[in-house]
Amino acid sequence: MSTSMTPPASPMPPETLPGEATRPPVTAAPRGEAQSPLEDSSRRTRWLVTLLIVVALLWTLVPLVWMLMSSFKNAEAVTAATPQFFFSPTLDNYRNLFSGANNLGPYIVHSVLAAGISALLAVGLGALAGYGLARTHMRGKKHLAFWIISTRMAPIAAVVVPLFLIFRGLGLIDSIPGLILAYLTFNLPFAIWLMSAFFAEVPSSLEESALVAGCSRWQAFWMVILPLTKSGLVTTFILCLVFAWNDYAFAVVFSGPSSQTLPIAASQLVTQTGIDWGQLTAIGTIVVVPMMLAGLAVRRWLVTGLTLGAITGE
Amino acid sequence: MSRVLYDEATRVYPGTERPAVDALDLDIHDGEFLVLVGPSGCGKSTSLRMLAGLERVDGGRIAIGDRDVTHLAPRDRDIAMVFQNYALYPHMSVADNMGFALRVMKAPKEEIDRRVKEAAGLLDLTEFLDRKPKALSGGQRQRVAMGRAIVREPKVFLMDEPLSNLDAKLRVQTRTQIAALQRRLGVTTVYVTHDQVEAMTMGDRVAVLKDGVLQQVDTPLRLYQHPANVFVAGFIGSPSMNLAEYPVEGDEAVLDDTRVRLSRETIQALKEEGGDRVILGFRPEGVEVVGEGTPGSFPVTVTVVEELGSDAFLYGQYADTTDPVRLGQTVIARVDPNMPPAKGERVRLRILPGKERLFSVVSGRRLPA
Ligand SMILES: Nc1ncnc2c1ncn2[C@@H]1O[C@H](COP(=O)(O)OP(=O)(O)O)[C@@H](O)[C@H]1O
Ligand SMILES: [Mg+2]
Repeated sequence: MSTSMTPPASPMPPETLPGEATRPPVTAAPRGEAQSPLEDSSRRTRWLVTLLIVVALLWTLVPLVWMLMSSFKNAEAVTAATPQFFFSPTLDNYRNLFSGANNLGPYIVHSVLAAGISALLAVGLGALAGYGLARTHMRGKKHLAFWIISTRMAPIAAVVVPLFLIFRGLGLIDSIPGLILAYLTFNLPFAIWLMSAFFAEVPSSLEESALVAGCSRWQAFWMVILPLTKSGLVTTFILCLVFAWNDYAFAVVFSGPSSQTLPIAASQLVTQTGIDWGQLTAIGTIVVVPMMLAGLAVRRWLVTGLTLGAITGE
Repeated sequence: MSRVLYDEATRVYPGTERPAVDALDLDIHDGEFLVLVGPSGCGKSTSLRMLAGLERVDGGRIAIGDRDVTHLAPRDRDIAMVFQNYALYPHMSVADNMGFALRVMKAPKEEIDRRVKEAAGLLDLTEFLDRKPKALSGGQRQRVAMGRAIVREPKVFLMDEPLSNLDAKLRVQTRTQIAALQRRLGVTTVYVTHDQVEAMTMGDRVAVLKDGVLQQVDTPLRLYQHPANVFVAGFIGSPSMNLAEYPVEGDEAVLDDTRVRLSRETIQALKEEGGDRVILGFRPEGVEVVGEGTPGSFPVTVTVVEELGSDAFLYGQYADTTDPVRLGQTVIARVDPNMPPAKGERVRLRILPGKERLFSVVSGRRLPA
C-alpha cells in the first residue's frame, strides 16, 4: 500500500467491462468441423471459469439459503441432527418476533432511520466535499485525500471511547441522531473519497463549458456534473447504507432502549438460557433481504459504478 | 460582436516561475477571425482561457467591447467556447446540448426551439437533434459543439483546437466550413491551433506565440513574406524556410564557394550589434536550380526528392561546406515536378533576387534589407 493514495480511477468505458474484454467469442464452431487447438483451449478456460463461478456461488449462497430455510422451520426441524430439506414451512418464527414484549418493529424503525439518514447525509455531504477535493489544485491534495480515507480505516475500537465521551456530553447517547452521527464518522470519509474518484472521471471541460454558457458554479455542478455521476451516487449510497445497516459495534455502545437496531435485537436472542435458532435466522433474513433487494434494484448502476469510468460516453 | 483587447495580459501558474503568457498585447477587431498559433505549450490555450475567464489574469487586463472583463466570471462575459474535446454533455440530447445556454438564461421555450433548429439547419444536424452525443460520429460531435456556440449568439467565439480530433480529410473540409460560417455570422473569433496551415488558411490575422511571448501578429501573407524573426520564419510555411548561419566578410555573406551581397542597411545593423555572422533564410520556392559556374550559386547533394504531382521538393545537404554549423543541415528547394533531379545527384542552387531574408544571429530579429 503506497502512502500517497489517489482515488481509484480506471478510464474503462461501460461497453468493455473487464470481464467482457477478455471473454472468448461465444460463437461455437459449426458441428462436424475439426476444432482448432486454439478453440479447444478457450473452451477449457470457459469450463474452468464456469466451475469457479459455481464454487463461489455455492460458497456465498448456501449459508444464506440455509438461513432462509431455517427461518421457516419449527424449533424441532431447525435443531434436528440430520439437516432437513423438506419440511412444512411455518411463519411461527416471524410471528414470535413481532409479538410479545420484545416486538421487533421498533428495532426495524431504528435501523431504517439510522442507516437511511446517515447514508443520505453521507452521500450529500460526500458529493459536495468529494467534488471540491477532485477539483482543487491546492498543494498536499493527495495527502488530504489519504488522510480522509485513513479515518475510515481506523479501527472502530479506537473511535468508540472518545466518541462516547463526546456523545455523553452532548446528550446523544441512546438517540437516533447520535447513531446517525456515529455512522457518519465512517461513512462520510468513505463517501468523500469514493465520490471524489467519480468526479475526477468527469472532464473539467464539461463544467467549464457550463460556466461559459452562463452557469454559476452551483448550477454547473447541479445541471451537468451531478447527473453524470448518478451511478456513483447510487453506488455510494448503497454501500454506506449497508455499512450502517450492518453495524453492531457502534450500536451496542451508543444505543439504548429507544434506539436499538436490528443487529442488537439479534444479539439479544442469544441468551444465557440458550439460542432461539429459529428466531435468529428469521432476524438474519430480515437484516439481509432488504439489502439484497436494494442491491438488485440498482444493479445496473452498481456495476458501472463499481468499475468507475463510463461517464463521458467516449 | 465586439472588439477584444489584451493589454499586457499575463498569467503565471502557481508554483511556476516563468509566465505561461507574458504581457500579451493583442487588439482583435470587431468581426475579425484571429488565429493564435504556436508550438505545443507556448501558452495558446492559457491566453484563450484568460479571455474566457477560466484562468486568472495575474497582470494587465482584458476587455471585450468597451467592458473590462479582467475579473468577471465566465458567465458574465457573453462568449461561447468550443473545446478541443467538444465537452458535449453526455446526458443531454443534441438539441438540449445546443439549447443549454439559452435554457440557463431562461429564454422562452419557443425561442430556444427556433434558434436550435436554425443552427441545426445551418450545420446539417437536423436529423440528429434527438440523439445523444454518444451516438454521433466525430465530425457530427464537432458540429454540435459549433452549433452550441452559434445558438448562443455571443459577442465572441473562442475555439481551442476544435479540429484536432478529426481525421486529416475531414479537418481540411471542416476548416473551410468554419471559416465561411464565421464570415457569414460576422462574430469576432479567437481560434487556437498548433497547425500553421490551419492558421494560414483560416485567419484574417495570425498571432504567433512562443514560450508565452507574442512574436508577431499579421495577415497570413505578410507573416509568410515578412517574418519578424527567425522563429516565425521557421514556423510559418510548409515545407519550412531554409535558415542557416553564414560568415560575413566585408559586405558579403559567404556561401561556401560563392558570395551574396548584403545591403548597406544590413551591414550597418550587423555592425551595430558587432556580429560577423548572419542568418540567411530562403523559402523552398525562393531558389532555382542553375548550371555549374552560375555566380551566387552554391552546391547541394540531393538526399531525397518528394514528388507531390503538382510540386516536387528536393531535400539535400550543403556539399563542399567546411563550416561546422552547416554540416549536416538540410536544404529544401522546390524543383520542376516534370524533371526533378535524381537522388544522390549534385545540383547548384541560386537564391532568386530579393527572396533572401536576413536575421541577426544575436537576437534572431530580422535585419533591415
Ligand atoms: N494548470 C497549470 N498549472 C501549471 N502549468 C500549466 C497549467 N496549464 C498549463 N500550464 C503550462 O503553461 C504553459 C502553456 O500551456 P498551454 O496554454 O496549455 O499551452 P498550449 O495550449 O499552447 O499548448 C505550458 O508550459 C504548460 O505546461
Ligand atoms: Mg492547448
